[in-house]
Amino acid sequence: MNLQKLETGNASFDHISHGGLPLGRTTLVAGSSGSAKTLFAAQFLALGIQLFNQSGVFVTFEEQVDDIRKHLRSFQWDIDTWENEGKWVFVDAAPKEEIIIAVGDFDLSAFRIRLERAVMKCRAQRVVIDSIGSIFTQFHEETHAIRRELIQVALTLSRLGATSIITAERLEEYGNITRFGVEEFLTDNVVILRNVLHNEKRRRTIEILKFRGSDHEKGENPFTINPDKAIVIIPLSAMNLKHVSSNERVTSGIPVLDEMIDGGFYKGSINLVSGAIGAGKTLLVANFINGIREKKERCLLMAFEESTEQLYRNASGWGIDFKQLEDEGLLKVISVYPEISSLEDHFINIQEVVKTFKPHRIAIDSLSALSRASSDKGFREFIIAFTSYLKHQEITALFTSNTPLLAGGTSDTEGNISPITDTIILLRYVEMSGEMQRSIAVLKMRGSKHDSAIRKFTISGEGAHIGKHFEGISGILTGNPMLIKLE
Amino acid sequence: MHVFQLFINGHSLNSIEAVDTLLKICRENLNGNYQLEIIDIQKDPDKAEEAGIIAIPTLIRMEPAPVNRIIGALNVRSRVLAGLGISSMHK
Repeated sequence: MNLQKLETGNASFDHISHGGLPLGRTTLVAGSSGSAKTLFAAQFLALGIQLFNQSGVFVTFEEQVDDIRKHLRSFQWDIDTWENEGKWVFVDAAPKEEIIIAVGDFDLSAFRIRLERAVMKCRAQRVVIDSIGSIFTQFHEETHAIRRELIQVALTLSRLGATSIITAERLEEYGNITRFGVEEFLTDNVVILRNVLHNEKRRRTIEILKFRGSDHEKGENPFTINPDKAIVIIPLSAMNLKHVSSNERVTSGIPVLDEMIDGGFYKGSINLVSGAIGAGKTLLVANFINGIREKKERCLLMAFEESTEQLYRNASGWGIDFKQLEDEGLLKVISVYPEISSLEDHFINIQEVVKTFKPHRIAIDSLSALSRASSDKGFREFIIAFTSYLKHQEITALFTSNTPLLAGGTSDTEGNISPITDTIILLRYVEMSGEMQRSIAVLKMRGSKHDSAIRKFTISGEGAHIGKHFEGISGILTGNPMLIKLE
Repeated sequence: MHVFQLFINGHSLNSIEAVDTLLKICRENLNGNYQLEIIDIQKDPDKAEEAGIIAIPTLIRMEPAPVNRIIGALNVRSRVLAGLGISSMHK
C-alpha cells in the first residue's frame, strides 16, 4: 500500500520523499532553532501558490505577521499580491504585548474556529502551523491543557483534509524529537531539519524520519538555503548508478597523453590529475580545455586557486589562447574563492551554470582548494553527488588535486575521490642527480587499457611535452627514486 | 469606569461559568459603573480574529489601562478581581 502524496513543488524534496508530503495529512517538521523550519513551511505554501495555484493558510504562534512578510519578500515571494488575491491567509496567534493570566479552565476553540474559517475562506489545500512549541511558552503554566487542546487541533486539521505542516522546536540535534513531546500526538509523519556545527562549519541536513504507510529515502540529505530558490536539497540517498557509459573518446588536448590512455578520455568520465605544487596540473587542465577547439565543444572551468587574469596569462605562456576561446563562446571561466560559500551552494551554482551554458566538459582546479570549504564528510558527499550529476549530464570532467609531498605521496582529497574516478593521472617530481625532473603516469583507467610506463614530462613555452619512460629507475611513486643496474 | 470584552464559545461549560462569575463580580463590586460586551465567537468570528483570540474564555480589560487579558473560566474570584484591577475599596 502506498499513500497518496501532494507534490510540494520543491523538486529535490519531492525526490527524496518519493512524491511529496502525505496528502491530506499532517507532517511534523522538527528542528533546532535556526534550522530553517519556518522557511521550509513557508516555501511549501509559496510553491503551492506559484506552481499549482493552491491556496494556503499560515498560522503563526511565534513570529509577528509583519516580520514573516518581510522574511518572505526577501525570497522574492510576492506575499502582498497573494494576500490581496486571498491565496495566502495568515492566522495571527503570535504573542501579544498585553499580559495574559490564566484563571481556571480554558480551551483553544477560538483558535480552532479561526483556523477553520481561514481554511474555508481561501479553500486552502495547504496549511502551516509555526511553531507549535511556542504555544506552550505562551501558556507555560497550563501544559496539560495545551497538550489536550492540541490533540483537538490535530483532529480539526485532519477533518479539514488539507495537507499540513506543523513545525516544532527541538533542543538537541540528536535526541528527543521535539521539546514538548508534540510527537506524541503527531506521530504519523515526521521530518527533521538539522543544522550541525562540526569543525567550525555548519552543515544543514534534512531527514524524513517516517511517513506512515508510505516509502521515502532514508537518512540525512544535505541542503542549502539559496536566495532565489529557498531550500534546495542535495539528494544523496537517491543517487543511483544508472547513468549511461559511452565508448566515445574525447581528447585530452595532448596527443601523446591520448595515446597513453588509448585514444582519449571516455565521454562523460570523471578524471583526476594528482600532483604536487608546480607539477603541471593546471597545464593539463589548460590542454584539456584547448581540446575543445577541434569539435567546437564548450567547457566550463571552475578555478578555485587562481584569478581569471592569472589563468589567461599562464595559459598564453604555454601557447594556449583562453581569451579567444571565451570570445567564441566556447569557454566559461568562473574563478572564486572556495570559502565564499558552502559546498552545497557551489554545487547549486555549478548546476545553474551547466543549465544555461550546457558545457561538454568541466574542469575544476583544484578539488583540494574546494575541500577547504567543508568538513570531510560534507566533501565526500559533495563529490558523490557532483560526479553522479556530471555523469547523468554526460559531461567529461577533469579535476586536479594537490599532494602535500613534492615527490610521491597522495592526499586526503584523493582518498575521497579516487574510488569514483575513471582515470587517475599522476604527476610526480623525480629527484635525480641533483635535478628535479617531472614525470607523468596513468595510474588507472576504467574500462580501457592504458600505458603503464612512468614517462618524462617537461614544460616549455610550447606547453607540455611527454617523453620516453624513465628507464632504469625505480621508486618514483614512493618518492625514493633509485638507479637500478640494467643487465 | 471599567470596560470589558468577554469572548465565549456558545454554551460551552467554561463559557457559562465565566459569564456567571463576571456578571456577579460586576454586580457586587462595580455598582453599575462598567461596560461589558459578551462576544460569542460562533456568531461573531470576525471580532475574535481582530482581537487575535486563541483561548476560550478570554476576558479583555480595555479600561482602566493598561489592557490585559485573563483566560479561563474565572473560577478563582480573588485572582479575577486583581486581574481586572478592582480593589476591595469598590466593595
